[in-house]
Amino acid sequence: MIRSKLEHIIGPDDLVLITGATGFIGVSVVENLLRLGFRNLRCFARPSSQMDKIEALRRNHRADARIEVFRGNLLVSEDCVAATKDVSVIFHLAAGRGEKSFPDAYMNSVITTRNLLEACLKTKCLKRFVNVSSFAVYTNTQKAHGRLLDEACPTETHPELRGDAYSFAKVKQEQMVVEYGDKFGVPYVIVRPGHVYGPGNEAISARVGIGTFGVFLHLGGPNTIPLTYVDNCAEAIVLAGLKKGIDRETFNVVDDDLPSSRQFLRLYKQNVTRFKSLYLPHALSFTLCYLWERFSEWSVGQVPPAFNRKRWHSFWKKTRYSNEKLKSRVGWAPQVSTAEGLGRYFESCRNLESHA
Amino acid sequence: MLKVAIVGCGKIADSHVSQIQRIKGCEVVGVCDKEPLMAKQLCERFSIKRNFGDLPELISEVHPDVVHITTPPAVHFDIASFCLKQGCHVYVEKPFTLYEDEAHKLIELATDENLKITAGHDDQFTHVARRMRTLVQSGFLGDGPVHMESYYCYELALTGYAGAILGDKQHWVRRLPGKLLHNIISHGIARIAEFLVTDSPQVIVHGFTSPLLRSRGETEIIDELRVIISEEQRTTAYFTFSSQMRPSLHMFRVFGSRNGLVLDHDQETLIKLRGTRLKSYVEKFVPPITMAKQYLGNLRINLGTFLARDFQMKSGMKYLIESFYQSIQDGTPPPIPYREILLTARIMDSIFSQLNQQSESEARSHVPLLASMAK
Repeated sequence: MIRSKLEHIIGPDDLVLITGATGFIGVSVVENLLRLGFRNLRCFARPSSQMDKIEALRRNHRADARIEVFRGNLLVSEDCVAATKDVSVIFHLAAGRGEKSFPDAYMNSVITTRNLLEACLKTKCLKRFVNVSSFAVYTNTQKAHGRLLDEACPTETHPELRGDAYSFAKVKQEQMVVEYGDKFGVPYVIVRPGHVYGPGNEAISARVGIGTFGVFLHLGGPNTIPLTYVDNCAEAIVLAGLKKGIDRETFNVVDDDLPSSRQFLRLYKQNVTRFKSLYLPHALSFTLCYLWERFSEWSVGQVPPAFNRKRWHSFWKKTRYSNEKLKSRVGWAPQVSTAEGLGRYFESCRNLESHA
Repeated sequence: MLKVAIVGCGKIADSHVSQIQRIKGCEVVGVCDKEPLMAKQLCERFSIKRNFGDLPELISEVHPDVVHITTPPAVHFDIASFCLKQGCHVYVEKPFTLYEDEAHKLIELATDENLKITAGHDDQFTHVARRMRTLVQSGFLGDGPVHMESYYCYELALTGYAGAILGDKQHWVRRLPGKLLHNIISHGIARIAEFLVTDSPQVIVHGFTSPLLRSRGETEIIDELRVIISEEQRTTAYFTFSSQMRPSLHMFRVFGSRNGLVLDHDQETLIKLRGTRLKSYVEKFVPPITMAKQYLGNLRINLGTFLARDFQMKSGMKYLIESFYQSIQDGTPPPIPYREILLTARIMDSIFSQLNQQSESEARSHVPLLASMAK
């Protein structure tokens, strides 16, 4: 414990800002920081955010920690300046999730990040800016090591052609962080989680398949699904924000013992609910994506380019994943096994089903 | 080549650019947003040459013939006035302006400068809306509309756009005179305004906050609205806006002295309603067959339009923009008569002023009650 604290870039009383603190991963990040003994936290939340979980943490840690809730809007520069005042580490988790519109996703991921980075320039004591990104930034087309996707793999050069507002915004957000690092020396670390699952995010990953067309199309088949349980992911983010000597590094976050898409779907059906699914072999799903892309072009956007070859490579191409860099450089190891994590996830899904 | 510029690079600007790029003889030469990064991302995604963070700079650098204003409505008037004074034709997204007097001033200014202006009431130019207009003009209804019913609903999910408005007491939508309604209902009102013949219809309004929103502590946002519009004992209309009713309709029904029509905007179907009845039991059996035949006819038309690559979700916008540009080039009247834009603004003004009076009188009626409770 003493050794690990010596490896931290800040002390327990230094002020830490967490944006998106009330979100699915954010709450767990706050819990992890408290568990590691950090007792001066500022949680940035939108006025519309549900505060129940953060308020519960505040009550439970009234004696040993100061948890400040900062209500604001990252699109407002003044809010960013006020929120970053005297902050030593920023965990930037807030992002536009689930946005279908490119401008909205861009505004809620890139403009907000720019505002926060601008505010950081006024903060003299900032030691690290942790940008929480996503696997969505990878092209997954020209990998250095065959089927292995690791931090050395290239990101999308033309994310606007993916037809996916989220990945476009995430690529641009990362570029913004790197630009501020290069130009102004903002000390940053980028964390790219795979599919974060757990109670609170019960949706089946699109990497397994999609239910858009009435029947669930199983597209993953034998592919490994890059899952990371929410608490494991949160711990990785926290450690990446605290560890000495990793500035400007990027870390992928996936758990150990990852299931294949087929295994995941079978377990889901066994543990949550039975439903019909139709498996599309990779050659067929690739062909359909190609045809959709061509039809979208031919019809001048009559159908949105939501399915295309770029998306297929990113989501449904057979790929292996590595967490070696995270383990060796940050000292992270998943505390919740995939079996245990899936058990908790399925239980949460069952509860959701029974309330539906 | 008509040079086009976009001011305001949010969500709706995407629709404008993608539809303009489908029209021959024009080019988007520049985009502008007070947040330069928003202008930059639009340029990047649509291969547009220039982006600006300052409107005067855009005008002086690229000299656009037409400016599309796709900003939040509070600044429509100022930006449109500026662009008209700079000699540009202007397309203003809905709602045209915040108040009717602003709409008057813009139209006057455009007329004085010998320029054209239009409002983004593109729902009136979808394939199905144009088919309906043709039928009405051909006299299918008889002597014009007797009664109209316009439904323009909005599924208020408590996340996303609506969630942001509900959670943020400072949201720009709340600062509009008609708040949430102001940003949504103009399409549904404009449909009625198109068929009114007098300039000052009577408007009777009833609005309230739905139980769902009230349960969330919301008191300002009105998300249930019923309006009766009537003109000199000639034509009447009902307008319904609801966040709660299902299905969430976007529908227009119009009844004349001979026949009626039902336009479903979501399904893009147009159904003719016969004004005469068949005899006895024949009325029970034949109309379902003729209705089925009509729906099949709509399916055939929609499929044909889809295969002809002209069934984009915003095909109405493309038609309106194209017609507007044509009117600029030919010197013909713009596709939406100015009278109709003003009438829509007048009805909306009346709705919002009555709603405000209603909420003020409700607030006053609560004061004595609270006082008596305190005693």
